[in-house]
Amino acid sequence: MPPSVRYHCPCLSNSPFPPPPHLQSSYYSFHPLHELFFCEECDAVRCNRCVTVEVSSYYCPNCLFEVPSASVRAEKNRCARNCFLCPNCRNTLSVVPSDPPDSGDGRLTVPISSLNEPPFFLYCNHCRWDSAEVGITFEKPTGLAAQLQKFEDSAPDSLEFERLKEHFEPFIRASSLSSSTNPSHPTAHPSSAAHSHHAHSNSITAAASAALARDVPGVSKYNPLSRSTSSRSATGKDRSVNKDEMPEYRSRLEISKASASGTGGGEADVEFMQHLEDIGQVATLEQRWFNSWATPLQTSELKPLRIPLHSKRSKRCPACTHILIKPEQKAQSVRYKIKLVAANYLPAITVALPHAQRLTAELARKLVGKTTSATADDERSSASDMHAGKTYPFHLALSNPLYDPITVRLSVQRMHVSTAPTTKDDGSPEKARRPPFAVSLPTSSFSVAAFAEAWEYEDDEDMFGADDGDDLPGRGGKETDSRGKVRTVGVLEKRANVTLVGGEVVIGKEARGNVKFNMLVSYTYRSDDPSPEGNDTEESSKTTPEVKTFAFYTVVDLGQIIPREEPKADSDI
Amino acid sequence: MEPPIYYSKAEFIETDTGNKVSRRATIAGPQNIILGGKTIISSGAIIRGDLRRTGPGHAVVISLGRYCLVGEGCVMSLSVTLSDRPPYKTYRGNFNYYPMKIGDHVHIGANSVVEAAQIGNHVEIGKNCVIGKFTIIKDCARIADNTIIPPNTVVPALSLFSGSPGGFCRFVEDLPESTQEMVEAQTKQYYTRFQPLDR
Repeated sequence: MPPSVRYHCPCLSNSPFPPPPHLQSSYYSFHPLHELFFCEECDAVRCNRCVTVEVSSYYCPNCLFEVPSASVRAEKNRCARNCFLCPNCRNTLSVVPSDPPDSGDGRLTVPISSLNEPPFFLYCNHCRWDSAEVGITFEKPTGLAAQLQKFEDSAPDSLEFERLKEHFEPFIRASSLSSSTNPSHPTAHPSSAAHSHHAHSNSITAAASAALARDVPGVSKYNPLSRSTSSRSATGKDRSVNKDEMPEYRSRLEISKASASGTGGGEADVEFMQHLEDIGQVATLEQRWFNSWATPLQTSELKPLRIPLHSKRSKRCPACTHILIKPEQKAQSVRYKIKLVAANYLPAITVALPHAQRLTAELARKLVGKTTSATADDERSSASDMHAGKTYPFHLALSNPLYDPITVRLSVQRMHVSTAPTTKDDGSPEKARRPPFAVSLPTSSFSVAAFAEAWEYEDDEDMFGADDGDDLPGRGGKETDSRGKVRTVGVLEKRANVTLVGGEVVIGKEARGNVKFNMLVSYTYRSDDPSPEGNDTEESSKTTPEVKTFAFYTVVDLGQIIPREEPKADSDI
Repeated sequence: MEPPIYYSKAEFIETDTGNKVSRRATIAGPQNIILGGKTIISSGAIIRGDLRRTGPGHAVVISLGRYCLVGEGCVMSLSVTLSDRPPYKTYRGNFNYYPMKIGDHVHIGANSVVEAAQIGNHVEIGKNCVIGKFTIIKDCARIADNTIIPPNTVVPALSLFSGSPGGFCRFVEDLPESTQEMVEAQTKQYYTRFQPLDR
């Protein structure tokens, strides 16, 4: 894995400090920069976990039709046009006409679309399922969902569900009304202290408990009378409070007879299982419950389902409810009316290990024109290894997205030594208490020049750093004989809006795990300053009120440490 | 920051608009293929421009936009066998090929077979993928490595599709809002990193 930098969003905890980096759980507090948002009002980073999301438009992922939100509910969140999922494999089904009548000469007839012969049916190009198998055919190739609708509506299951909804609707309306008046509830009934918790429960739970106490046909009645007299009085009161006023629901079909009418269960299934020849005849749970309109046991009875709609979402800041993301209305547009992403506010940081980079570059040179790829992969991964007990330099490249120069200061968050990762692997506690590695970063602040549009630079090399190849050998020579003689910590290079700083990590002899540390990045910028000299580190205007400071935490992961014990030769260093 | 990716200068032909085409790629019917500029065709790629519509006249079969990459991984291997082949079907009794359009900043990984009808801008297709006939891939979509996209699929904008070999693909998640900028930067960087080496 290449070294990475992830940015902290403080939404998961109240403390402004990020969790220790080596804990597994800290992963969830850090995000890649491009997934973060920035709220200008709150001056804070927001992530996908903390923003509030609302749907701005719905569309069908297959026909890309934008469904007006008014009709989404009526269409049950699925495409009401010609889009169906294959119940067998979830591929999109296509409408095909019937084959022309067989000419009888035994020649393989090519399906010819031009004939457009009804009946039409749905066909899966992937698994060759077709809807004629389950008796679904269409008279015309358009408006399939509408043609199927009448079958769906007349199916016993959906009729039953409609009836259930009708049945419960007045009750739900009443309970939602009573829940709004709930606070007056306990005062009206100053019942026993033992039942005070009922005051907190809303009417829904009350209804649920009332429903539990109700007679269930076929189940012997639970009689609290036989248990204790005290509980009887309690339930008696409870009943008077939440009276179950619901009339009893009678289903359209008797459930004991339902298996005969094809809903599954009972002897019909036993019969089917006895004559089973292939496991593929039984539908998988996923096919039954997610891919099929009906939920049959047999694969041959799966019915196609309309494609579920997708949505485009806008996102708001959780604190000030300002909009951070607002997509354009058009479904397939990738533009946004409002897009406040953190990448436009925070400096982007990339980290690299020069020793690994040098090796990969050499490797790339070596391998030009060679055919084997396996060895290259091996060598490439071993190139970025870091061995315990050695010192490695690393480079951080900060690029400034702002139109003003910024002054950055980096600092490492102090490690919590007691929970260092060494504790879990090797037993000796004295050694474990020692921090596995020490990181040194430039202590003084440095500047990163303002962002400028591409055409403002004179040539491409300024922008993309195409001169890396020339730089590397020189830099490499500096490092091989470094050991404190040549400065590796500090500002190494400034180019366009990117500043490259060097750091150094000293890895302990007993260290294992990843070199992973939290880094505080604080930067100051002048909000409206026309002067172009951003490269001065001595900023005289630091005290003026126009200067703004923003700080955020990142976690830098340089990669895994190779423990000493391992017989891995350090030939590649 | 990223180290350059070297190729041998003798192997690649560079056009005026910055396209870099490997001599080891098989390109059939080049008069029917349009490259937008700064597009890299790696060694071992197969592009079939000869499978064109029946009928007289000049026809564009495959067009690629700017900053595209066909068949990644040419530094490491020559075993890239990427076959771009236009979609075909029988319509009105005639077997016919349909043109294929690929937008800007599209990367297609090594060993993938692409028969899509349309690929938008800023699309990433992983390694070892099979993109079925008449598939439409919208802008900023991403296809994970080893995915099989069955024919006639529509991949909506900003979505990630993935599926295991032998299985079938499905929608996994929405990609972040800044995908477009990310992909654009990546593809441009890849082109600058892709440098010749005299030997």
